[in-house]
Amino acid sequence: MAVAETNNIISPAQGRPSALKRALSDGRLVTVLVFLPPALLLFTLFVTLPLIEAAGYAGYKWSGYGDPTEWVGMRNFEILQKHSAFHQSLMNTVWVIVASCLLQIPLAMSMALLIYRKTWSNTVFRLIFFAPYILAEVATGLIWSFIFDGDYGVAAMASQALGGEPFFPLSDRTWAFPVVLFVVVWKFFGFHMMIFIAALQGIPEDLTEAARIDGAKPGQITWFVKLPLLKPAIAVSVFFAVIGSLQLFDLIVPLTNGGPSNSTHTIVSYLYTFGLTRLKVGFGSAVGIVLFLITVAFAVVYRNTAMKET
Amino acid sequence: MAEVRLNNLTKSYGGVEVIPPLDLTIPDKSFSVLVGPSGCGKSTLLRMVAGLEEVTSGQITIGGEDVTDADPAKRGIAMVFQSYALYPHMSVADNIGFALKLAKTPKDEIRTRVKEAAAILQLEDYLDRKPKALSGGQRQRVAIGRAIVRQPKVFLFDEPLSNLDAALRAQMRVELAELHEKLGATMIYVTHDQVEAMTMADQIVVLKKGEVQQVGAPLDLYNTPENTFVAEFIGMPKMNLLNGATAARFGGDKVGVRPEHLEISSDNPIVSGEVVHAEYLGADTIAHVQSAEAGRVVVRLDGSHPLQRGSEITLSPRPGCLRIFDANGQSLGAA
Ligand SMILES: Nc1ncnc2c1ncn2[C@@H]1O[C@H](COP(=O)(O)OP(=O)(O)O)[C@@H](O)[C@H]1O
Ligand SMILES: [Mg+2]
Repeated sequence: MAVAETNNIISPAQGRPSALKRALSDGRLVTVLVFLPPALLLFTLFVTLPLIEAAGYAGYKWSGYGDPTEWVGMRNFEILQKHSAFHQSLMNTVWVIVASCLLQIPLAMSMALLIYRKTWSNTVFRLIFFAPYILAEVATGLIWSFIFDGDYGVAAMASQALGGEPFFPLSDRTWAFPVVLFVVVWKFFGFHMMIFIAALQGIPEDLTEAARIDGAKPGQITWFVKLPLLKPAIAVSVFFAVIGSLQLFDLIVPLTNGGPSNSTHTIVSYLYTFGLTRLKVGFGSAVGIVLFLITVAFAVVYRNTAMKET
Repeated sequence: MAEVRLNNLTKSYGGVEVIPPLDLTIPDKSFSVLVGPSGCGKSTLLRMVAGLEEVTSGQITIGGEDVTDADPAKRGIAMVFQSYALYPHMSVADNIGFALKLAKTPKDEIRTRVKEAAAILQLEDYLDRKPKALSGGQRQRVAIGRAIVRQPKVFLFDEPLSNLDAALRAQMRVELAELHEKLGATMIYVTHDQVEAMTMADQIVVLKKGEVQQVGAPLDLYNTPENTFVAEFIGMPKMNLLNGATAARFGGDKVGVRPEHLEISSDNPIVSGEVVHAEYLGADTIAHVQSAEAGRVVVRLDGSHPLQRGSEITLSPRPGCLRIFDANGQSLGAA
């Protein structure tokens, strides 16, 4: 703002300078010329080209060895469309998104509201709640798979204490996916909590004080003042939650590896299992294309709606 | 009745005493200005009255009622912040009506009372706007509107004009003074600007490092400052303080004379020296005189005075306009 105003003040005599002239004079053009090519090159080399290539493979029946030769057109997509395990993985992804938005984000928000003020004990709590996020996802999956193990884990102890049959929640069609959801919420809520803490610390103290004088109780200050001011942070948080859910993979493999009977796959673990491990790279590419389109569609729609006026 | 009394009030932040024991009475319906340099504890004092800051010891009463530990909302006060502290996501109308909404006032009544407040502050056309679509002066008015609508017994202002440009500040000073007349409420106003204090106050409280230096009407402070701090703080350009031989002639450690109380004359000369700088303001000319015995002296002369830089002049005080101070800076009276 300030920069733009200064420019206007300097140049009224020569009328409106052209956009190019302005870009040259304030050094923006130079910045663009210096900084854009490397980024553009890397992006093209490592993102755009592989993407186009993958799109090409999606039309072949190809094991990944040698050159793809067997052109099958849209067949990979047709198989995908009829595969019930894929439908299940889509549904599961939707559930991960729902759990992220309706459990994880409210949980993260509550925690953030409790511990956003800068005190010694709050720092400790923040560290504890953030720790799961730092943990490698594969390690997280392994740890929880031990905990829920019916022979040796906490689940075993619980069933022994209650005197019941040994219980294997991760191999139980009813319980396996809820356990996955639980681990997802546990692992990532700290990340959202940090976003909210940063945003809460950015709310001027004056506003909450003004609300106190206006007669707002702590709950009302949160509801009428803090939460509305956190809208942009919530929008960002939901964005990351959805994108993250669409790409969820590393947790699934050590926890359930998609089982029992393919009931806990996400889109990416489906891609990995049915594309890569079964040497059907062409088919996997087709799944990748579908995932890419879903992600782009979401990103575009979301940015132009929820994240727009904020 | 909304007299505000501070009895033996103190405030410390972790062992650092910001306000030493302080007694102060703000009379009912007065416009009292707390003035002092930055960091002297004005905001802290005001925030204690508001209930936003805990009192370390002592007592606060408003209208005879002890509110030392009362909730901010239950003290019958309203506060206008320097930053305005408007709720950015609410319209002007919602900002003004927020306290009423929280108090579960019926919607119709909220609407009428918001309209009334908006009318007083000429905000009727902006009620549907968000704060970010308003100018600084309009935001200021919304902040005041938010205070008015609650009909508080005491208004608290913390440097409300310091984010405005000079012209707007002058205008708002007048408006605030008029508002005080109209509402007849007690107002406590904090500023570091002695001009605001002089122009608006019924009562000025001068603070230095949390201690009350002097309390009185603007002209009392101007004419009979009790110490050198008040003497220098009130009035622009500042009072000249001369020491050494000049002061000794009048039986003090320092002698103070205001720039406007000096004249070019040799009747009763107090300083003479060379004009090193002159500011021509039209109505007045402010001349800076460098004298060998008294150092730099500032004098305010009639604007029609033709004054050459480098010329030698001799200055005499108007009779009775000298203030004498002892070694501790306390007033010894006039001369
Ligand atoms: N929360 C705080 N913690 C520690 N010291 C503070 C705090 N708030 C204010 N102070 C100190 O108290 C003194 C008075 O501050 P303040 O009342 O804001 O001054 P003023 O409003 O007159 O400029 C300052 O020295 C300031 O550093
Ligand atoms: Mg202050």
